[in-house]
Amino acid sequence: MAEPILVVEGLKVSYGRVEAVHDVSFRADPGSLVTLVGANGAGKSSVINAVSGMLRPKSGRIMFEGRDITRTPAHELVRRGLVQVPEGRQVLSTLTIEENLQLGGWHRGKAAGAAIASMYARFPVLADRRLLPAGALSGGEQQMLAIARALVAAPKVMLMDEPSMGLAPKIVDEVFRVIEEIRASGTTVVLVEQNARRAMRAADYAYVLQTGTVVQSGPAADLLADESIVQAYLGIDPA
Amino acid sequence: MIAQYSATITFIALGAIFAYSFYAVLVAGQLSLGQAGFASVAAFSAVTLGPDPDQVGDLPALLVAIVIGMAVGAIAAVVLGLPTMHLRGVFLAIATLAFAEAVRILLLNQEWSGGAQGMSVPKIVTPAIAWIALAVVAYWFWRQGPSRYGRALAAIREDELAARAMGIDVGRYRLSAFVVAGAVAGLYGVLWAFFVRLIAPEDFGFSTAIDGLVTAVVGGSTMFLGPLLGSGFLTAIPELQRALGVEAGWIRPFLSSVLLLVVILFLPGGLASFIPRRVRMPPTVGEDFGSDHAGLATRLHQASGETVAELVGLSKEYGGVHAVRDVDLQIRSGEVVGLIGPNGAGKTTLVNMISGLVPPSSGRATVLGVTIGRTPAHRVAAAGVSRTFQHAKLFARLSALENVLVGAHLVSRPTFLRRMVWLTSARRDERESLEHAARCLRRVGLGDRATTRASSLSYGDQRRLEIARALAADPSLLILDEPAAGMNHVEASSLSTLIRSLAVDGLTILLIEHNVGLVLETCSRIVVLNFGEVIASGSPDEIAADPVVIEAYLGSAEEDPGGPPNGSIAAGTLADPTAGPDATKRV
Amino acid sequence: MQQLLNGLFIGSIYALFAIGFTLVFGILDRLNLAHPAVFAASAFVGIELVERAGLSIWLAIPLVLVFGGIVGLVVERVAFRPLKGRPDAHFAGLISSIALAGMVIALLQWRYGPDTRRFPAGSFPDTRLQIAGAQVTVVQVVILVVSIGLMVGLTLLVTRSRLGRGMRAIAENPNAARVLGVDVDRVTATTFAISSALGAVAGVLFAMNVNSAQLGMGTAIELKGLAVIIVGGMGSLPGALVGGLVLGLAEVFAVQYIGSSWRDLIAFGLLFAILLLRPQGLFGARKVRQV
Repeated sequence: MAEPILVVEGLKVSYGRVEAVHDVSFRADPGSLVTLVGANGAGKSSVINAVSGMLRPKSGRIMFEGRDITRTPAHELVRRGLVQVPEGRQVLSTLTIEENLQLGGWHRGKAAGAAIASMYARFPVLADRRLLPAGALSGGEQQMLAIARALVAAPKVMLMDEPSMGLAPKIVDEVFRVIEEIRASGTTVVLVEQNARRAMRAADYAYVLQTGTVVQSGPAADLLADESIVQAYLGIDPA
Repeated sequence: MIAQYSATITFIALGAIFAYSFYAVLVAGQLSLGQAGFASVAAFSAVTLGPDPDQVGDLPALLVAIVIGMAVGAIAAVVLGLPTMHLRGVFLAIATLAFAEAVRILLLNQEWSGGAQGMSVPKIVTPAIAWIALAVVAYWFWRQGPSRYGRALAAIREDELAARAMGIDVGRYRLSAFVVAGAVAGLYGVLWAFFVRLIAPEDFGFSTAIDGLVTAVVGGSTMFLGPLLGSGFLTAIPELQRALGVEAGWIRPFLSSVLLLVVILFLPGGLASFIPRRVRMPPTVGEDFGSDHAGLATRLHQASGETVAELVGLSKEYGGVHAVRDVDLQIRSGEVVGLIGPNGAGKTTLVNMISGLVPPSSGRATVLGVTIGRTPAHRVAAAGVSRTFQHAKLFARLSALENVLVGAHLVSRPTFLRRMVWLTSARRDERESLEHAARCLRRVGLGDRATTRASSLSYGDQRRLEIARALAADPSLLILDEPAAGMNHVEASSLSTLIRSLAVDGLTILLIEHNVGLVLETCSRIVVLNFGEVIASGSPDEIAADPVVIEAYLGSAEEDPGGPPNGSIAAGTLADPTAGPDATKRV
Repeated sequence: MQQLLNGLFIGSIYALFAIGFTLVFGILDRLNLAHPAVFAASAFVGIELVERAGLSIWLAIPLVLVFGGIVGLVVERVAFRPLKGRPDAHFAGLISSIALAGMVIALLQWRYGPDTRRFPAGSFPDTRLQIAGAQVTVVQVVILVVSIGLMVGLTLLVTRSRLGRGMRAIAENPNAARVLGVDVDRVTATTFAISSALGAVAGVLFAMNVNSAQLGMGTAIELKGLAVIIVGGMGSLPGALVGGLVLGLAEVFAVQYIGSSWRDLIAFGLLFAILLLRPQGLFGARKVRQV
């Protein structure tokens, strides 16, 4: 069994005055799909933002490909192949689709050109509208753009923060199909989701977060079948 | 020896008065730079219109000139303040700076003001007069700080939106701060004119405007002694320089700029931040429920069961995206209504509409007798709606007690003018407000934290402080926006107990929460939103068992049974599972 | 026609200067009030290069451009970067840049004294040209060419290059830009350098136009520059260009028809009118900041 490509140990993250994450540990094996699920406010986004370098953790350790990246800034991590698709997509709506994709390749120089071409092949709707401002796209299309943008950076690990948020169920299916395809191509995916069941169906391994700590973890299929998840998730104390 | 320094002493006083005209608006968080213009127009008007000192005597002439100058300054401030009412930050700074410059150019071209030559003015002002005037101005601001009016200004500075939600009419208070600034600047202009013997429009130009701002910032704008400290310090520099025998003309501006840079980078509160801020102490009286509060305006509440809020077809869209879609909702007095739904379901938007912060796109809503959409937020608050915010919007630099005092804005009596003359009735009213605020703090369990700065409180305490502040207005409808965010089981449980006790006291409560467990055990009725629409409504038991609700939160493990959509956004990228066996994957 | 050309010449300098403000505002949402001081300083430096170092004016201009860029980096590092993330960052940035401006002007006074400086005689060619019946000097033509050239270059940079994409990304959403891997600090510093470099060239061109440099020239143009960006729209490059030219033309025609003493009021009149009627400016799409 290969070494985990991403290891997080004892993570503690404060977001402003809130200690959003008390003590979270998880790992991801190369090529696997790991999901962090939990109710809103459970701390999932803070974990992802700490891993991607957008937030400084208060304590804990993050290792990527065996190197300590706890204090490494975000732009350096993207260069090394750790890329985040942020919550709410955050496409740059005043820039064109093409420019958004080019920004995804900020670090890659000439090699980005080929990557962008393959994104157009894979997502024809982006190709059709490539010179339109990204703000003209629908929610689902923007999600595809955000994913394509991250792929242009040639990620080894892709961190996805609530890709299904605000999208209609049919579009969510599309998104999950793309995610599975990405995983199948060898990229490791860490998926944070509120839509717990769907995420666990797609994942290899799952961690359930509640108020900043991991309360349950295990192979995703096992957790999916476990009814007590519902209660933990909704914050209902078992009777 | 004194005579040698008499000019310096006078300049310190005058500089401080000018800085106070900036302070007057900075306490409300407004960056107005037009004070030089007010001073200019006031000076020239007073000199022109005022009586001749040779005829009526020095002092009477000066006093009349001062009255004229302050009146003109105030009027000029209104002229500038009204059209710039909606400007903030940088835009306000630029607009007001341009005003000052425009005044300068206008006066430069007028006959009556002597054009570029200016006017000559007899010298009447002595150091004593200047310092007496300064003392009066400082006194005004000293009494203003801890009054209801002063707190309202500070609230606007800290968080304008929250101030609105506390019932403060921001526009009116802003304008009043402008008027005070104008009057004080006018006083400065007149005193300056009758001291320097010759005034020209150039004296009130760009660099004067900046100098005044610098003095106010270096001195500090959160404490009334700030401008005096700033003026003293900055005037001391050339004196020090002279004493040391260094004669270069460039050193003074260089040093004062360096000082300004150092202050703003490392000491944002200015020199005044070295003086410990005296924090209001709550009175150490015992529990005082149900006594007669003469100093507080009591409120009439709805009888149990009456309709408190009625929403019909309420919608809000932002450029095609429906944040809230066609919501019907009724809230009756005495209920605890929970509003739940996944992220982005539109809960906060709905609540923002109910509290008057956001106008609806369509539909009708009436809350406590006011029509939503046509009523500004502070009037909705006055009608009896009080709320907390999803991301706690406290007045960070004020103490916990002061935060709650602002919350009590609507029910407390204005005391500023009575404070000026030390009337005991003012003292009594203030004391009652303090007791009321202390009571609200004790209610949420923060009684022993009254004097702590709001930004220093722990997160959980900050959320409770927000509730105390909302309670202080004696509301009929209390809206809580995710009060339990970030709390663990124990904290959430005590919050639930607090909410239920508030309901027992007769408050109607609308609670938005993600912690579904908390909502199930606290509320009498629950409404579920998803994608801006109401998808379920009923008692806690009904909602907990409703599969539609569970699915909205946890999602469905299965794919949508309707099959892949037409015009799928990823069309052709993956094998279409409903297509026939010979469908090929498009690359 | 003569007036039209005069208006264009001065207007192009206004535009070049205003672009510096709008670049920084676009990317950082802050107003850099040290910009006018760089404008003034570079005029003096330009004169010194020609006078003391004996350089030709054509060589001095690019050197002044570099000088401006370096000063821009210093301003960003000292007055703006330390304030990142502070809640009062807008106000504080205004004050810290005012402080730096004061320091720069004081240093200018130390080095050059309080008097007006001029270019030495013979610094520029005296030839006059005839264009469509109006007389222009070579200097004025150069001003127009350099200004337009720099603005075109900047537009190309912003719309076509990687750096420009990064700048526009940060202007829209700094967090999204960071998540994409853009080195926000580095791009911000570069933007400051570019904006100051342009302001510096504007300063030396202005000094060439009137053949003088004074300590107060920065404050004199400061409000006009602010009026230009408000009229054109904060953060909009075409807005700064159009706004500058409009102001230049309006001033020249106002002097002709109303009288020279009212010239400076034109800027404020336009400013107030726009703030009241269309606060986002002619080209601005941004919502006026609420706080």
